[in-house]
Amino acid sequence: MIFLGLFRESILFAINALVVNKLRTILSLLGITIGIFAIITVFTIVDSLEQNLRKSVQSLGNDVVFVEKWPWTFGPDYPWWKYMNRPDAEYTELDAILRKCDGAQAAAFVVSSNITVKYKSSSIENVTIICASHQFDKVKNFEIAEGRYFTEIESEAGRPVAIIGDVLAKTLFPYQSPIGQWIKVHGAKVMVVGVFKKEGESILGGSPDTQVLVPVQYARSIIDIRNNNLDPQLLVRAKSGVSNDDLIDELTGLMRSIRKIQPRAEDNFALNQTSLISNQFDKLFDIVGVAGWIIGGFSILVGGFGIANIMFVSVKERTNIIGIQKSLGAKNYFILLQFIFESIFLSLIGGIFGLIIVYIITLTAGDSFGMEITLSKSNIILGFTISILIGVVSGFVPAYGASQLDPVEAIRAS
Amino acid sequence: METAIRKRPVLITTVCIIGFIWIVGSLPAVFSPSIKKLGDWYPALFGFLVAACFISYIGLWHMKRWGAHVFIGAFFLKEIILIMIDDVSYPGFVISVFFIACMTAYYKKMDVNL
Repeated sequence: MIFLGLFRESILFAINALVVNKLRTILSLLGITIGIFAIITVFTIVDSLEQNLRKSVQSLGNDVVFVEKWPWTFGPDYPWWKYMNRPDAEYTELDAILRKCDGAQAAAFVVSSNITVKYKSSSIENVTIICASHQFDKVKNFEIAEGRYFTEIESEAGRPVAIIGDVLAKTLFPYQSPIGQWIKVHGAKVMVVGVFKKEGESILGGSPDTQVLVPVQYARSIIDIRNNNLDPQLLVRAKSGVSNDDLIDELTGLMRSIRKIQPRAEDNFALNQTSLISNQFDKLFDIVGVAGWIIGGFSILVGGFGIANIMFVSVKERTNIIGIQKSLGAKNYFILLQFIFESIFLSLIGGIFGLIIVYIITLTAGDSFGMEITLSKSNIILGFTISILIGVVSGFVPAYGASQLDPVEAIRAS
Repeated sequence: METAIRKRPVLITTVCIIGFIWIVGSLPAVFSPSIKKLGDWYPALFGFLVAACFISYIGLWHMKRWGAHVFIGAFFLKEIILIMIDDVSYPGFVISVFFIACMTAYYKKMDVNL
């Protein structure tokens, strides 16, 4: 009970300090507010970016191996001239993989390009067209919100059917269902049989919301799928229980035999997996996190000095009161805790303001970043922790000084 | 009230100075990305430990027994956490044990009051 009273009294003193010396206190608290704002903003953006990246990588498939020309590794020693001369992945290689690869659950051949899509007088330019073989739905993670996926006959016979993204559906067919409607893809008529479920922007680009999926056998009639600008890929998903490494080992041997590569010759293909992308981004996020940590750290340090300054002044101003309290029987720890609570409370006010600013930014700036930014529970905890820690560290020395005052000397102080 | 000014031994002064330097280095680590990655509550826990150590060094600087008590409590808590996250630092452990030995050596000369 005595602690509750002490706590209440400290809060009242802190509020009094705020009210009596508004400008002085606000300027001192500004350091903590800016520090918490800087650190938590950086952590919030990094966390949100990471979350979006993981979502994007997950949509590519964690257990999918991409057979293509270019490896997904970057750096100063990237021998692009060597990779440029490699042959592209071909549709004929898909057959061999499907027949011979024991570790593969499904595989698909995919090419993509940018085209114009039309419906009556509406037209959308630069739409990504994905031309894929039948098992694409088994290697790529997506959901169909309306309609259906292609039948095997449609895929193999190359029927003019398409699945379109949510944004395309809403733009081309604002007042009707797109299912069964005929759109013009690259000048050719294609019937819409399905609409992808809305996924939102992807950090890696290529959101299905703005894509059109057609069978690759049909795409042959409207675009040159052997054109190496279309970035042909073979997507192979591992069977459950088969690790990506095992699948890569098997695919390496298989692709070498398909392409008849000599035993001592280098591979002329790359086997990529999504972890390569996330590893590259992890390094980047670490650097951004450390940068935010350094910038915010200095602000917090300055804020801590501000709080310590307020507390020293507060002790000086209330020396008489401390003397009276002690002469009336207040223990040293009572005075000590009184000032520490006050320091923590002041620091918390600064921290809370910082967190509120971050929260307002997450509400308003999400659209500018093109992704959802959320202030996570862990970052709120971190903000409060830093505030309390700075309050304790910067307030302890003045508080301890106050607790050690001689009551007679303290009462005499003017 | 006991008001006698206790002379601080050089060893305790050295321990406190090293401790304060450690605190200055550890404060930013509370909100470092590496601590944050361990879990939501680790920055809070680590922050509590840093604050406890800071308070203990101030106590030791003033030759107070409660400084030694707080330091030993924080030491055990820190080691339990480090064992839990499998990140025990043997040099850190040895230095802390040395600090505790120094405090024990001068414990009787320390003030029992706050």
